[in-house]
Amino acid sequence: MSGAANPVSPPDITITCDPDKLAEFEQRIADGVLIEPGDWMPDSYRALMLRMAEHHANSEIVGALPEGEWITRAPSMLRKLALIAKVQDEVGHGQMLYRVSQELGKSRDDMLRDLITGKTKYHNCFNYPCPTWGDIAMIQWLIDGAAIMNQKTLADGAYGPYVRTMNRINMEEAFHFKSGEDMVLTLMGGTKGQQIMAQDAFDRWWPIALMFFGPADKPNAEELPAMKWRMKTERNDSLRQRYVNRFAPAAMDMGLVIHVCEKDAAGLVTSKRPDEAIALDEDTGNWSFTQPDWDEFWRVIRGNGPCNAHRVALRRLSYEQGAWVRRAIGTGAVATPPAA
Amino acid sequence: MSKVREQDLTFGDSLPDPTPDARHWVIYTMKREAAPYKWAGYVDAPDASLALQFAREHYGLDEACIGIIAHEHKDASDGVYSLDPLKPGNAAGDDGDSWTVFTLEKRGGNHQSAGTVNAPDAKIAIERATAAFAGPKVRSIRVVPTARIHETTESELIIWRTHDMNYKLAKGYAKDVRAKWSRFRDEKTYEQYRKDDIAKHF
Repeated sequence: MSGAANPVSPPDITITCDPDKLAEFEQRIADGVLIEPGDWMPDSYRALMLRMAEHHANSEIVGALPEGEWITRAPSMLRKLALIAKVQDEVGHGQMLYRVSQELGKSRDDMLRDLITGKTKYHNCFNYPCPTWGDIAMIQWLIDGAAIMNQKTLADGAYGPYVRTMNRINMEEAFHFKSGEDMVLTLMGGTKGQQIMAQDAFDRWWPIALMFFGPADKPNAEELPAMKWRMKTERNDSLRQRYVNRFAPAAMDMGLVIHVCEKDAAGLVTSKRPDEAIALDEDTGNWSFTQPDWDEFWRVIRGNGPCNAHRVALRRLSYEQGAWVRRAIGTGAVATPPAA
Repeated sequence: MSKVREQDLTFGDSLPDPTPDARHWVIYTMKREAAPYKWAGYVDAPDASLALQFAREHYGLDEACIGIIAHEHKDASDGVYSLDPLKPGNAAGDDGDSWTVFTLEKRGGNHQSAGTVNAPDAKIAIERATAAFAGPKVRSIRVVPTARIHETTESELIIWRTHDMNYKLAKGYAKDVRAKWSRFRDEKTYEQYRKDDIAKHF
């Protein structure tokens, strides 16, 4: 689901390598040639690519947590089957992306340890609560929709193993999105209570979806490594605009109202008003909209979101409780489960 | 909410000792009779049996396939990833063990099975495979000892096809989504939206 391999605050990259090799490498990328693991690449490219793939992998497995909580409470057997399949897909995506990262030089155990000790991040959107089934519907429609849009551009990137993994993942994400669209349509075509549930969830997730693509890029983004080396191929603002153009009219056609909301520390809406900026510019074909609260974005990314601590704690619980199994599998040694 | 998610999660100061990464397997699926096996993804598993079981769960359920094979990543030997199509060369010979050959037709694409060659080691296997399978599109050759390739049986796969699993395919929702959208949008508008969905936005 997560797809948002747009880790913010990229490290300062100092490119120190053979200038001739670097020129040849950059020319290949400019020519549209994909980089494969056996090819020469600058160390900084390897480091950035690892950071991106690891962030994406972390997001997939943490992203499975809020939805996993709803499996036991799905409203029908069909929805339960679909949600189980989706959660399984997301963890599988994490598996594939961790493998891409491993090939770039970091062990899976190190990645899991860095995740649960806060050394590495995952996507911000998973630090928010899902108090109703409507939230599950909105995650699959709005967030998976955003993920597909983002990941389609990532599949146009330059690193071969990441590209082929993106193509595989996008195929599965299409089911997630369609399942979500079906759920939102069902709620909005249902009773007044269902419509209110969907609207409340939409209010919570619309601004999160707008933040999904990350803050605006620097003016010279095309000259910086991430875009110059085609790790990402489209500016965050451009993706966000395309997203609003696609989803704002669809939401309104369903009867949803786009609000500007205030939220409390738990991530729940405390007040809202219609977004008066929502309008179609007939000349450009673009929908205008109110930007999300970027202060909130930075607060959450620094670890102060409604669910940061809980998500990481659950991952740590899994890591600690599964250690004896990994030890038994990995070493063949006799191992015993921790005391209950 | 499940009990585990309601409990107060507190931890000690230190993490458990590091654990080794599991064995890593590469998975390929065959979509229909006589088609090549194509790269599907990866799984980590302690042995071949579990690797195939995980592969059936993950990759065999996502799209109908009639066969799955797996090999350990360390058993694969990749030749160069060429910018241009490989030239066949003139390596010849038929001595040695069997190696299964996979070709890669474009960088960033997926390896697919092409056949087998006999060779005494991986280097010669790649040379002989290049002579046998290089074509106008092939950019790279991968060889794996045939004896190290593990395959699902027909009966293992059929069990996953005994009930309707359209719920985990995008197309499984198409009819319902269309019907539900028609409550909000007329048919013509919906049809344009559906086309845009695929072509323009996704």
